[in-house]
Amino acid sequence: MSTAHRTDPGDAALRGEPTPPRHTGAVGQRTPLIDGIEKVTGRARYTADLPFGQALVGRILRSPVAHGLIRGIDAAAARAMPGVRAVITGEDFAAPYGVIPIAQNEWPLARDRVRYRGEPVVAVAAIDEATAEAALRAIVLDIEPLPAYFSAAEARAEGALPLHEKKVGNIERQVEQDFGDVDAGFAAADLVLERHTAYAEVAHGQIELNAAVAAYEPEWGRLTTHSVTQVPYYLHLTLAQVLGMDASRIRVVKPFVGGGFGHRVEPLNFEMITAALARAAGGTVRTQLTREEGFLTHRGRPATDIRLKIGMKRTGEITAVDCEVVQRGGAYGGYGLVTILYAGALLHALYRLGAVRYRGFRVYANLPPCGAMRGHGAVDVRHAFESLLDEMAGELGLDPFALRRANLIGAPYRTLNDLQVNSYGIPACLAWAEKASGWKERRGKLPRGHGLGMACSHYVSGSAKPVHWSGEPHAVINLKLDFDGSITILTGASDIGQGSSTLLTQVVAEVLMLPMARIRVIATDSALTPKDNGSYSSRVSFMVGNAALRAAEELKRVLVTAASVRLQVTPEEIEWEGERCAVVGTDKSADFAQVVEAALAESGTLTVKGVWSTPPETQGGKFRGAAVGSTAGFSYAAQVVEVSVDEDTGAVKVEHVWAAHDCGFAINPLAVEGQVQGAVWMGMGQALSEETQYHEGLAIRPNMLDYRIPTIAESPPIDVHLVESLDPLGPFGAKEASEGALHGFPPALTNAICDAVGIRLGELPATPDRLLEAIHLRRREQRQQARRAAVASAAPAPALAAPASALDARASGQSMSAAASSEAAHVASGGRPVAPGGAR
Amino acid sequence: MERMPEFRLSRPATYAEAAALLAAEPGARLFAGGTDLVPNLRRGLESPSRLVDLGAVQGAAELDFGAGELVLGAGVTLAQLAADERIASQYAAIGEAARGAAGPGHRTVASLGGNLCLDTRCVFYNQSEWWRRSNGWCLKRGGDTCHVAPQGKRCHAAFSGDLAPALIALGAEVELLSGRGVRRLALADCYRDDGAAHLTLERDEVLTKVQVPAATAGWVSGYRKARVRGAMDFPLAGVACALGVSRGVIAGLRVALTGTNSRPLLLDGTQALVGKPLDAAGLAALGKLVHKQVSPMRTTVTPSNYRRLVAAVHAQRLVRELAGAA
Amino acid sequence: MKRDTVGKRLLSLTVNERTQQHAVADNALLLDVLRETLGLTGTKQGCDGGECGACTVLVDSQPQLACITLAASCEGRHIETIEHLSTHGRMSRLQQAFHEKLGTQCGFCTPGMIMAAEALLRRQSDPSEAQIREALAGNLCRCTGYVKIIESVQSAAGAGR
Repeated sequence: MSTAHRTDPGDAALRGEPTPPRHTGAVGQRTPLIDGIEKVTGRARYTADLPFGQALVGRILRSPVAHGLIRGIDAAAARAMPGVRAVITGEDFAAPYGVIPIAQNEWPLARDRVRYRGEPVVAVAAIDEATAEAALRAIVLDIEPLPAYFSAAEARAEGALPLHEKKVGNIERQVEQDFGDVDAGFAAADLVLERHTAYAEVAHGQIELNAAVAAYEPEWGRLTTHSVTQVPYYLHLTLAQVLGMDASRIRVVKPFVGGGFGHRVEPLNFEMITAALARAAGGTVRTQLTREEGFLTHRGRPATDIRLKIGMKRTGEITAVDCEVVQRGGAYGGYGLVTILYAGALLHALYRLGAVRYRGFRVYANLPPCGAMRGHGAVDVRHAFESLLDEMAGELGLDPFALRRANLIGAPYRTLNDLQVNSYGIPACLAWAEKASGWKERRGKLPRGHGLGMACSHYVSGSAKPVHWSGEPHAVINLKLDFDGSITILTGASDIGQGSSTLLTQVVAEVLMLPMARIRVIATDSALTPKDNGSYSSRVSFMVGNAALRAAEELKRVLVTAASVRLQVTPEEIEWEGERCAVVGTDKSADFAQVVEAALAESGTLTVKGVWSTPPETQGGKFRGAAVGSTAGFSYAAQVVEVSVDEDTGAVKVEHVWAAHDCGFAINPLAVEGQVQGAVWMGMGQALSEETQYHEGLAIRPNMLDYRIPTIAESPPIDVHLVESLDPLGPFGAKEASEGALHGFPPALTNAICDAVGIRLGELPATPDRLLEAIHLRRREQRQQARRAAVASAAPAPALAAPASALDARASGQSMSAAASSEAAHVASGGRPVAPGGAR
Repeated sequence: MERMPEFRLSRPATYAEAAALLAAEPGARLFAGGTDLVPNLRRGLESPSRLVDLGAVQGAAELDFGAGELVLGAGVTLAQLAADERIASQYAAIGEAARGAAGPGHRTVASLGGNLCLDTRCVFYNQSEWWRRSNGWCLKRGGDTCHVAPQGKRCHAAFSGDLAPALIALGAEVELLSGRGVRRLALADCYRDDGAAHLTLERDEVLTKVQVPAATAGWVSGYRKARVRGAMDFPLAGVACALGVSRGVIAGLRVALTGTNSRPLLLDGTQALVGKPLDAAGLAALGKLVHKQVSPMRTTVTPSNYRRLVAAVHAQRLVRELAGAA
Repeated sequence: MKRDTVGKRLLSLTVNERTQQHAVADNALLLDVLRETLGLTGTKQGCDGGECGACTVLVDSQPQLACITLAASCEGRHIETIEHLSTHGRMSRLQQAFHEKLGTQCGFCTPGMIMAAEALLRRQSDPSEAQIREALAGNLCRCTGYVKIIESVQSAAGAGR
């Protein structure tokens, strides 16, 4: 098991960059999490652990029907039951909601219509679980079924009933983006290939079950909610909206959260239901969802079909890209608009592209609604892209690394779709991954069934334009310093295990040159902490880190000024050393307590604010949807995956992964490594074994046995190398580290499988059954070819050739020949019919 | 969490008491480690009025390697079987089957008897009550349609325990105790091919012992499990094999499978390979036997045809490996 | 609606070296008794029964899943939860290793993971990587990819726990 190494920043992005900071033991140091001890001792309290005494139990009755009109809800018997304190329906809410302000078509409890099996319809609050369950059993739902659609194709078919008003063809959003002259680009290409690929829907699989506790004080008309959210601010606004309450009467607190990965980046129905129950009951209600209910809440990565065409010169230079994406988004809007936009936007900013045409279709279906999941929108497209690059490299006789190197961006760079790239660590990432994996020495020379594959990827460090365009700064940090000499960082930023609170502490400690023990973080309590937009699209390190940097600098300025007054010199004569400061050239000094005393004497308790916003030039272009994909800094990654394939069972074992990630600067290299490993591994889950599945709209895998997230038994060693391109806008040069490496794993895997056995799978996950079917299909095709050849030459039939030219290709040091590879590709993707919007 | 049904718990000190409790109450169910039963109870798949906890029965977890045969108490845990060195060397199939079942936390308490009597499984059955009600229940519980084969009249839920094929391949017999006395039965005869009623045990019988004939000189055994993940998953297909080789020639071959049918299956026709050396033709014949006799249905999330294919592959590999080792 | 269909008993439970009597229903799960009756919320629930390992506790030093264990079958056994591993307020070597080596990120799988690792180290003080993987195969983690979990256990073992 190896650990990551730090590298010297080795990239053109260094030009104009301030000199690297003088690290005093905070940033840049491998730092265990400031809340790690609570976690390993079991003291950390997650929502379900919070001591609320005898709270009422909240339970939800869910629609058994995939699509239908609610004719009646008979809850009289439930309401009359002793011990039942509240029964609510969709009528008890003031407004629908949705995380994107222009797409709010979801009610916390279904109103008039149900649109997926599992949709919440009625909720009860009762004195205990037994009573709550009995109450649910006593409720009678009268639902008149409507035709239901379980695939994008069905939903788009002529005559299909629209799930939502005015959405003809059940298209939630259609995107058309054209940059440059794509047709000319294809005409100028030496090689043009087009492929169809299909991706199963996947789920976040965070280990903590969903839970919320809402306390309503009827005397004050006030609500306090504790919940598993990644976005306390959006939850706060949404509670006000759906409850018809003034936001000032609401308080949202986020305790320890056991993982998010995007499941909790939008306000979720059970959170609003719990609050409404609390209000109806006039007390405290706790709702704890089962794992099954978590899968029904869903908000995962949609099932996707992609048609991708790339035009390329003999040198590997990409002249044109034509991409069509169809996402099966489920029953409600959620983040849907954003997801279908990310799919197109992040075609760009990884390589130089000649011209790009993108068509995206986000389609409604009668299934649990999809949402944002780590890598949001760009994961499946990146798989299609990196797979096709690999295939075209083979056809042109180019090494996959060389092909990437033929399309490098030189930062600073403005993409075709108006995205700004200021730092670009791909060259260093490629160099390390190539070397560490022994690519040149080993590829093409591995034993039968073993293969190496590579891919690049990237992601945003937060969306440069926030979801709510209020004009406010994009991140705010408050610092408090009082008589006790401790500094409190007040932040609305949600630490969901990625280590954001630790990062903020390091930043403040670094600037003030103080030990981390002097600093505490108070986070995510709307009564105390400044608003933060939330932990999604990997914005926190970049944006909130910058705000913390500025806040700390301001506090330092205040303290230096106070010290100068006390020591009767000018601020410029003060040498700040953290626990003490001295007057340059003398032996006059003051310790921290004295400086604090001096500062407080002026104004009392110090509260200092730091804000940060993305510069306008990073906020994207002016065309419709341009904000999505815009960011102040892209992370970059390159990885190599080694596999061994069992050709008789289709089983794929990931032997090793080498992943290089350009995080700009690793404020906490320990946490960055951990996040990169987690991202790569999550990509592996999607690539190898994870998929949701539905039977007439009913989720078949709503548990942790059939929804197969990898166990430790089959999880590979993942070597991580951090590249530091020192982004000019990131705090200390830092960019995101939590998502960018994910997108690279799935294509690196299927590229490795192709290297190993010569089969390029056209769909994910690459489960043993799919791979075995493709292997068998190829064997049949080869036998047929051999028979035809024998007949044609009228010679005795040759001995059955060893399957594929994979072995021959290995001997000649190349991947498969062009003809066989195209055929294999067609064979592989033809192994399962891929209809547009194809459902399984 | 999903609520447990309401029941009374008894903790008898002897198997005889346990059998009496079963006889006295139609709604009573046996319970040892509970690693199969409790998740099913939490899903509302059963609602026993009484659970008879065998955890306090004295002497239930003995391993006896006395002369002539191996006697395993039904209370022996999978962890014990997985760790026992004598089992590993003399009855490898048992140890391998135990080692690969579920996870360490299950194996600590999961009992041999419980694993042999595992409930059958199906994606349309192992779901919550809300799910099953939304789907109109099923033939195994609460309804009259098997969603796997709607035109048919039987339940196709698959037996998926790992120990049964290993012990069947080794020719095991069991002892069953009831108020009527003790009876011995070949383990293979404890099962019938009906997903809704797969155990031939009477309702008030307790499986108390498993007896395995002494390892014949030269016999080797093994168990291989096909699954997607490397732990936790039930077998998509599990194959156990016991093989005797004498002077380069197969002296005996028993192959048993799990995960593919509503009962663990002893492969018919392996006698045809006896008396010859193991060669490609023999392995091909073995593969054909497996293909023909397993009948996986759409009871798992992995397609049934795949389970048929890997069952044959694992059978062939295991026999070849054991023949090489013997 | 009160039906007299559930048995109840006075159960003597020894948890973290403390023996206490509790009135416990026959159908009570050990996880609920630990979390709700004893207030030991370190042990977590992450699934609908026996699938994720987050509820792993030690019973007589062996790993067991509290969410599918009946409390009533634990009489006479010694149950240990994550709260028991620190002594006199100091973390055990294993806990320290998980903290320092970042075997924990969101922390939710951590108590179960550490208890499973603890069971391993009690019977095998210097485990191989394969043994570590086998011992933790029943504990799902969604954050780490398991890499630093393995390193944490190795670190604790190497340091003599």
